[in-house]
Amino acid sequence: MIELHRVSKVYSVGPVKVPALREVSFRINKGEFVVLTGPSGAGKTTLLRLLYRDDLPSEGDVEVLGASLVGLGRSQVAALRRSIGVVFQDAKLLPVRTVYENVAFVLRVLGTPRREITARAFDALRVVGLSARAQAYPAQLSQGEAQRAALARAIVRRPPLLLADEPTGNLDESMASEIVGVLKDIGAGGTTIVLATHQARLAASLRRRTLTLGGGRVVKDEG
Amino acid sequence: MLGFLVGEAFRDLRRAGRVAVSAVVLITLSLAALGGFWLVSSNIGRAVAKWRDQVRIVVYLKREPSAGEVVALLERVRAMPGVAGVVFIGKADALRSLKQVLGKDASVVDQLPANPLPASLEVTPSATAATPEGARELLTRLAGLPETDEVAGGGDWVERLAQWQRLLATIGLGVGAVLAVAAILTVTTATTLILHARRHETEIMRLVGAPELTIRLPVLLQGMMQGLAGAVLALGTLVITHSVVAPRLEPLVNLTLGLSQIVFLTPLGVLTLLGGGTLLGGLGGWLARAAREP
Repeated sequence: MIELHRVSKVYSVGPVKVPALREVSFRINKGEFVVLTGPSGAGKTTLLRLLYRDDLPSEGDVEVLGASLVGLGRSQVAALRRSIGVVFQDAKLLPVRTVYENVAFVLRVLGTPRREITARAFDALRVVGLSARAQAYPAQLSQGEAQRAALARAIVRRPPLLLADEPTGNLDESMASEIVGVLKDIGAGGTTIVLATHQARLAASLRRRTLTLGGGRVVKDEG
Repeated sequence: MLGFLVGEAFRDLRRAGRVAVSAVVLITLSLAALGGFWLVSSNIGRAVAKWRDQVRIVVYLKREPSAGEVVALLERVRAMPGVAGVVFIGKADALRSLKQVLGKDASVVDQLPANPLPASLEVTPSATAATPEGARELLTRLAGLPETDEVAGGGDWVERLAQWQRLLATIGLGVGAVLAVAAILTVTTATTLILHARRHETEIMRLVGAPELTIRLPVLLQGMMQGLAGAVLALGTLVITHSVVAPRLEPLVNLTLGLSQIVFLTPLGVLTLLGGGTLLGGLGGWLARAAREP
């Protein structure tokens, strides 16, 4: 499903080179739920950005869903992303659209037939427990609800891979456990999940395979 | 999908608000100016074409030739390049024509001791001699005939009218072009605002792997919609102006240019204006997109 071969990433800030990842290698199998943890600046977000081809590695190769991401053209990147759901710390909901419209928007831009859109959008909202709030606008949602809406948007295409970058970062403990519960449910359906979090307690409570990053390297791979 | 793209384009237009309205107004002004000059120019063009057909060159002869000399002279003139036709008018024919023109005052002619009018040739230039250069060459050739006393006529004034027509068309194009550039810049500004307003949508669209066409087309479409709306308004303005002004000007135009009516733009002209407006708007949208996405 995911394979990294000696991946390094260096950012250039003017003349200064800032290494974010150093020779990272690992493999994640289909259906796995992997927690990516480590302190802020450890390279978690950089790693996830490489996985959905928002950026390219400086060295090494990234394979996702059987395809090497180095050298992909624009249309191939778009095709890859159709198989990946992504959730961020901020929900990134469109403020002028309702929860339902936010979820349906993804299907509409991908040309899904109209009759399928409603059923699939409401199905995704049901999975995250947000059916009752379908007509609410993002400003009317709690942070936990907004994050669940973002999750619904990420899974509405039923992607085989879900990347979650600090989805509980802005939430209190009970809301965070709600989101984690939803992620577990999604994972139980066979979706491969990579969850990045700096919250060590949360990572430990999940009891899943955990990759710990430090200084841009994988310092621990356990579980 | 098409419904979605058009819907997004309309949503973008609403977002642009007053700037989009300004862009539509500027496109209307530029196309109305262009169309107005075009309309005037094409009507003058019709007058020029009509008068060109009626241009005659009169070659006054030194003396009235005999019947045999007339046949030979006519053959020589017909053989000249740039001559479509030639008619001999004898002294008696000329006097008859003068009497017809004078009407009830024709008796004045009878007081004359002798017929003072010269015999002449009335030459119709061919299309090749309808240009200023062609006409000048033909006049020189006719003046070079040994029988020629004087050459009169020609299409100088028609050419002057044609020059006015070209000048008007150039001014129209100039004014239209300046306004068109302003319109493109306004559409670009409106589109830049739209791109800023829809940056979150664009981000999500890219994130979920939407095809580039789906991302770019609404922006191009909203620009084209602004252009088309401007073109329709410009055409409406021209139609109304034409229907109000033309009947009032037609008597004067008939008297001066010999045109019985001022015609509106041809269907091809109307389509060109509509297409031009749509293109202007699309170009503005495309420029804004290109400026933001190298």
